[in-house]
Amino acid sequence: MATLTSYGAYVPQYRAPLGEIQKFYGRPGRPRSRALATPSIDEDTLTMAFEASRDALKGERGVGAVITATQAPPFGLRKLSATLSRALRLDDGAVHIDLGANANGLLDAFRIAATLDVGPTLVVATDHLVAYRDRVADVLSAGAATAFLVDPGKSGFATLGPQARAADEVFDVWLLGREQEPRFRLEVLFDSYGKVTARAAKALAAITKRETGRYTSICPSQPHPQVLRSLGKLGARPEQIEGTSFVGDIGNVGAASVGLALCLGLDASRKGSSLLALAYGGGEAVAQEITVTAKPKGIGARGMIDGGEPIALGTYYRWTEGRQQQPH
Amino acid sequence: MSMRVGVLGIGKTPHKIQHEKSLKDLGVEAGRKAMADAGVDPSEIQMLYVGNVGSVGFNYENSTALMAAHHLGVVPAGAVRVEAACGTGAWALHLGCVAIASGLYDTVMVLGMEKMNDLATVEGTSIIAQAADSKEEYFSGLTFPSGTALTARKYMQAYGVSEEDLAHTSVKNHFYGARNPSAHLRFECTVEEVMNSPKVADPLKLYEVCPMTDAASALVLCREEILRAQPNRPQVYVTATSMASGTWYQASDTLDDAYNLFHRPATRAYEMAGVTAKDIDVAEIYNSFAIQEPLGIEGLGFAKMGQGWKGAKDGSTWLDGKIAVNPSGGLLCKGHPLGATGATQAVDIVEQLRGTAPEGMQRADAEIGISACRGGPGSVGAIHIYQRLEG
Amino acid sequence: MTVSAIEFTRLGAPKLHLFAMKCGKCKELSPWWERSHCYKCGHDTLTEFELAGKGEITNYTVVYYPPREFLGQEPYVVGHIRMDEGVTLPAPVMGVAPDAVEVGTRVAATLRRMKLGHEGDIYYSYKFVVDDDPAPKKTAPARRAAAKTPAAKTPAAKQPAARKPAAKKPAPRKPAARKK
Repeated sequence: MATLTSYGAYVPQYRAPLGEIQKFYGRPGRPRSRALATPSIDEDTLTMAFEASRDALKGERGVGAVITATQAPPFGLRKLSATLSRALRLDDGAVHIDLGANANGLLDAFRIAATLDVGPTLVVATDHLVAYRDRVADVLSAGAATAFLVDPGKSGFATLGPQARAADEVFDVWLLGREQEPRFRLEVLFDSYGKVTARAAKALAAITKRETGRYTSICPSQPHPQVLRSLGKLGARPEQIEGTSFVGDIGNVGAASVGLALCLGLDASRKGSSLLALAYGGGEAVAQEITVTAKPKGIGARGMIDGGEPIALGTYYRWTEGRQQQPH
Repeated sequence: MSMRVGVLGIGKTPHKIQHEKSLKDLGVEAGRKAMADAGVDPSEIQMLYVGNVGSVGFNYENSTALMAAHHLGVVPAGAVRVEAACGTGAWALHLGCVAIASGLYDTVMVLGMEKMNDLATVEGTSIIAQAADSKEEYFSGLTFPSGTALTARKYMQAYGVSEEDLAHTSVKNHFYGARNPSAHLRFECTVEEVMNSPKVADPLKLYEVCPMTDAASALVLCREEILRAQPNRPQVYVTATSMASGTWYQASDTLDDAYNLFHRPATRAYEMAGVTAKDIDVAEIYNSFAIQEPLGIEGLGFAKMGQGWKGAKDGSTWLDGKIAVNPSGGLLCKGHPLGATGATQAVDIVEQLRGTAPEGMQRADAEIGISACRGGPGSVGAIHIYQRLEG
Repeated sequence: MTVSAIEFTRLGAPKLHLFAMKCGKCKELSPWWERSHCYKCGHDTLTEFELAGKGEITNYTVVYYPPREFLGQEPYVVGHIRMDEGVTLPAPVMGVAPDAVEVGTRVAATLRRMKLGHEGDIYYSYKFVVDDDPAPKKTAPARRAAAKTPAAKTPAAKQPAARKPAAKKPAPRKPAARKK
C-alpha cells in the first residue's frame, strides 16, 4: 500500500481584490472569495511547483518518478515534469509523467504513483487558472501548487487508501480545439459537481465500509453549497469541511485544489485520522480515503492562505492579461 | 616615446535629440565642419576612423565607416569603424593618433557619431546593455544605469559618502551645461533638485544620469610639421594617447579596478607627454553617470581614492578651481552619443586650449588638457593629453 | 532582442541550476559566466560547482527603467548576493519593497521567470527572496552538497568578513601576469 512520506505547498503572496473586479464589471452580489491568490508576473505553474516540491523534498534527491498535474503548463511540447525535475536536480533518468489535469488530476496521479515500481514518486499539482476579465468573478482564477512524496514501499505518515469514481457526460466547462475562452455554465457545473461527487463518495463508502460522515475531515476541491447539500444527504457534517476550506479565502486554484485541502487536513490530523479527498472536474468525480498512521509534521498551510499582500486591480490585470493568448 | 599629433581641425554637431537628421546627416555635418576648420579638402584625408557603437541596433544599418567615407567624399581613403563600448570615440582618436605617429599618414580624420533617438528608451536601454555581457551578467535584469548604481553604492559604503555629497557633481555639471550652446540639457539645478529628481536606478537619480543623444564630432589630425607650417593656426597637439582594458563584469569590478582603469593608462600618458597631474588645467572626464566623475578624478590622480567627489562641493573642480573638470557640462548635460562621446571630449578640450570655448566655460590660459573616456561595466580606459605648444 | 531556438537552448537550460565556476587550481569560485579562465589566477580549467542557495545582500540597486524583456516587473531590486560559499552573484531580490532593502539581509534562492523574450519565450532562473531562517539550514545544504562543500566553510563564520568594506585594504584581483 502506497504511503505519503512528505508534503509541501506554495500559495503566492499576492491577493487580488475580487470585490473590486466584480464592481468594475457591474457584477452584483457578494464576492465568493475574500481575495484571489495571484502569482506575480514572474511566477507560473513551474515556479510554484518548484517551491512546493522543494519544501516536500527537503533535500531528498532519490526520486524515481515525477508526476505533474496542471491545466496551465507554461509551455507546450516540453514536459513540465521533466523540466521541474531538472530544476530540482533530480535524477534525469526518473519517470516523468505530465497530466493535463483538472481538479481530479492529483488523485489520478496518486493512483499512478501507487502502481509505479520505481521508488519514491514526487506528485505535484500546480495551477494558475486565468479567465477573461469579468469571468474572473465566476472562475475565481487563482494560483497555487502542492507537492506530495509518495512511497510505495516505505511506511510514511499516511496511507493512500482505495479510490472510487463516478462520471456524467456534461458540458459544464469546455473548450473546442484551440478556443481561447472556456465556455461554461455555472449552474450545470455545480449541479453535476454535487451529484457526481456524492455518487463517488457513496461508491467509496461501499468499498471502505466507512460512512461519509465518519471521516475526520473531508477535503473537497471546492466546498460549494451544492456539494455540501449532496454530501449532507450522505451524512457529512459542516465541521468535517470547516478546516479544509480555502476557496472563500484565496479563490479557485484548479488542479492544486484537492492538494491544498489535503494539506490543510493533514496539518490538522493526528494518528488515526481519516481523510476523504474529493475531486471533481469535467463531469468526473474521484473519492479517495487517506488514513493517517502517524501525526505528520505540519507545513502551516492555513498560514499561507491567511497571509498575503493586497494588490491593486490594475496590477492584477497587468500580471494576468494576455496569459491566455500566449503560452502561459 | 613622445608624440606630437597636430589637431588641424575640429567640428561637432549640436548634441540633442535631432529627429530631422539621420546618422549619415550627423556624420557628414561634423566631418565637413572639421574639414572646413582644418582648411583641407576631402581628397587630402588619407584615412577615416569612425567611432560608432550601435547602428545595427539603433538604426538598422551597418558598415557606417563606408557610409561616412562615401558621403564625406574622402574616397578612396581607407575607412574603418571602431567599436569599444562607450570608449569608442576615444578609440577612434587613438587609432588616428597612432596612424599619424607611425609616419604612415599625413592627414587623417577621426569621426565619432551616434543616432540614438530613433528608438524608444526601453529599446535603447537594451541596446546599450549589449556593451556588457547582456546575456550572462545582465541576464539578471541589470542595465547600465543600475550596474553603475551598484558601483555608486559600493563607493558610498566604502568611503562613507552620502547621496547628497555625490549630488554636488550634478550641480557643477549642470551649471556649465546651462552655458554650453551645444549641450543637450541646458538648465542649472540645486542639490535639492538633484535629490528630488525621479529615481532611475537607486541610488542614481535622473539628474545623475545622461540622456540619449544624437550627435557627431570630428577631428582632422596631421603630422606635427604640417601644423607647424601654419603658425597662424592654433598650435594644439595631442601629446599622449594611452588605452587600457578592465573587467567586463560589474560583479567582479572592485573600486580598485575602477581606479586602475584610469590610473594605469593615465600614468603612462603623463609619462608620454612629460607632464604630471598637477600640470593639467582642464579635464573632460567621462560621466554618463555622476559617480563616474569622482572615480575619474581619482584615477587621473587629481584626488586620493574616496576624495574625488569633494571637488564639486568645495569648488576645486569648478572652472576657477585647482583644475577645471568638465567645463562643458560633461556627459550629464551634453548627453552620451555613444560613439561620438570620446571625440566630443577631444573637441571640447581643443576648444579650451585654443581659447575658443563658449562664454562661461573657458578656463583662463588653458595650456594642458586631458580627456578620459571609459566604456563597458569597467572595461575601457582611454586617456588623451593635449597641449598648446607655440613655436 | 531576437533569440533563436538554438540560443535559447544554450542560455536557458543552465540557469535552471544555481552554480558557480570553481577554479581547478586556486579553487576560487567565480560567477557562472567565467568559463574560459579563472579571473584570479588565470588557470583555464573550471568546473561547475553547485551552490546551496543561501547568501546575503552585499549591494543592491533598484531598476526603474528596465530592458524590454523585463517590462512589467519594474521597479525591481537587483542585488549582489554573497553566497555562503563565498562567490558574489548578481540576481533580483523579490518580495522586498524598493525602499526597504537592506545590505546584510539573508536571502535564499528560488526559481522564477527571469524575463520574457522577444517571442514570448520564458527564461527561468534563480531569484532571491528574504530568508526567514536566521541561521542557514544545516540539514538540507549539508546533505545536498556533502560531496563537494568543505564542511569547515560554515556560513556563520563567513558573515562578518563579508560585511567588511573591501576598499580600505586593496586586494588586487588581477594576477601578476596580467600587469604589463
